[in-house]
Amino acid sequence: MSSGIVAKLKEPLRQRADFSQVLAGSWATLSARELSDRPLSLERDGDARLGDLFELDGQPEGRIRLVGELDHADRLGAGLIEGEVTVDGNVGREAGLAQAGGRLDIGGDAGPRAGAAPLGFKRGMTGGELIVRGSAGPEAGAAMRRGLLVILGAASDRTGLGMIAGTVVLFGPVGTDVGLWSKRGSVVALGRITPPPTYSYACTFQPVHLRLLLTRLRDTYRLPVRPRHLNGFYHRYSGDMAELGKGEILAWTAK
Amino acid sequence: MKIRGVFIEDTFAEAFTMRVARIVITARSYRWVRAAALKLTGFATSVIGCKVEAGIERELPAKETPDGRPGVSILIMTMGKDDLAKRLIERVGQTVLTCPTTACYDGLPDAPDRVGVGSALRFFGDGFQMSKVIAGQRFWRIPVMEGEFLVQEKFGMLKGVGGGNFLILARNADAALEAAEAAADSMAVLPGVILPFPGGVVRSGSKVGSRRIKSMIASTNDAFCPTLRAVTVTALPEGVNSVLEIVVNGVDANSIASAMKTGIDAACRGGVVAISAGNYGGKLGPHHFYLRKIMGGAAE
Repeated sequence: MSSGIVAKLKEPLRQRADFSQVLAGSWATLSARELSDRPLSLERDGDARLGDLFELDGQPEGRIRLVGELDHADRLGAGLIEGEVTVDGNVGREAGLAQAGGRLDIGGDAGPRAGAAPLGFKRGMTGGELIVRGSAGPEAGAAMRRGLLVILGAASDRTGLGMIAGTVVLFGPVGTDVGLWSKRGSVVALGRITPPPTYSYACTFQPVHLRLLLTRLRDTYRLPVRPRHLNGFYHRYSGDMAELGKGEILAWTAK
Repeated sequence: MKIRGVFIEDTFAEAFTMRVARIVITARSYRWVRAAALKLTGFATSVIGCKVEAGIERELPAKETPDGRPGVSILIMTMGKDDLAKRLIERVGQTVLTCPTTACYDGLPDAPDRVGVGSALRFFGDGFQMSKVIAGQRFWRIPVMEGEFLVQEKFGMLKGVGGGNFLILARNADAALEAAEAAADSMAVLPGVILPFPGGVVRSGSKVGSRRIKSMIASTNDAFCPTLRAVTVTALPEGVNSVLEIVVNGVDANSIASAMKTGIDAACRGGVVAISAGNYGGKLGPHHFYLRKIMGGAAE
């Protein structure tokens, strides 16, 4: 059984590369050869094609797996609208920038501003699911409007900065000012979190919708959701009160 | 045709196309699942007087529900598409939203026809409600004094079948009731069907219209009333002194036929003289369930 297209990096990236055009828009039905022609930009060497850097093989089934050290690959999955993208290791900055659909599953760490809005734009993710199995740099999910961002490792400062809506699920430790200036977004913290001072504690309860969401994450992505996460209580903080105040931080609590 | 000495009449049950939705209710425990389910399916025996026909399809173990809590699936049926949306909003709003710890989900996710339920009930949140899209489906989190009520935005709707039936013609009331209870018990566990009447049994089968009052759309089925044997054109064989009816609705004709077969087989026991069925000459309902065909015999 084929597992879609596999793209193997021919040799390590020695300069930063902008992947923002590679998976933007419709790509899920493109053959390996057609995808090889997708443009990217190298910091020093300028314009290139995906096929210049990767060997692509397999059949188009709406899935692509990228293999190799991609720490210097910036804006991978930017503008994604469809399909399933799996990255075996780390990625650079702004992965899933303004993602609008599909799934982007990053096996390692992500640099700053994963799932965020492009600089100068108001909206980050507007749909889809972005999974970072390692840690994520600052301002992940900044200005996201819809969609789901999940970070299994450490989430840096200002994750979910200025969220308009959407959901961020954080499994690990978090930095400061998570959810700052959020309008309607939901931040779910399964580890320790200190909400910004502009959030107000509301209550401790069991949100039923989290059972659906977390069960789906467990079953679809095999994420380490434990029974205590499903059956447990959550502190609800409303905020950001400096904004609309219709957002929330749901912080799991052992009590 | 006879089954264990019970005569199966050469007739058919006439049933109608209805609109059906399947509602899944979950709660902290079966106590509250049942509390909501019983209220939601209350006063929902016949569209003639209740506007809606509803019943519990089956209880769901926690592993079969969307949120991993105990649950129940309910079928709710109306004659028209628009009517189903109205009835769902009324009933879910008044009986599930109000019930502690419950959540309410669509049980027909693959049905292309969708009706808004959560999309209407959300306004109870008075602007404080929040929506979440999970696995492509939108849910509404409506704040309530207890915490939050979670309800799916849209529910699937199918064309179902209502009015499958058979009549148990017995020597006395005890035998009729015993046979009806056995039939209802055997049918209640089957998927895709509900028995909307009390305990699954009807004692007041009806005919279309009235002999005296033109505005009445239904009145007693005098042909099957033992007390009227001497004063009307009776359909009752000799020795029959009590008749009970089993009415079954379902998601499709096959589910009804299968349930009728199970129920009739259970009803064929001592004290039962014959099994018959209610129809209107085949002119009103498009679904005809021939008793002998269902029971594997040949029509005479």
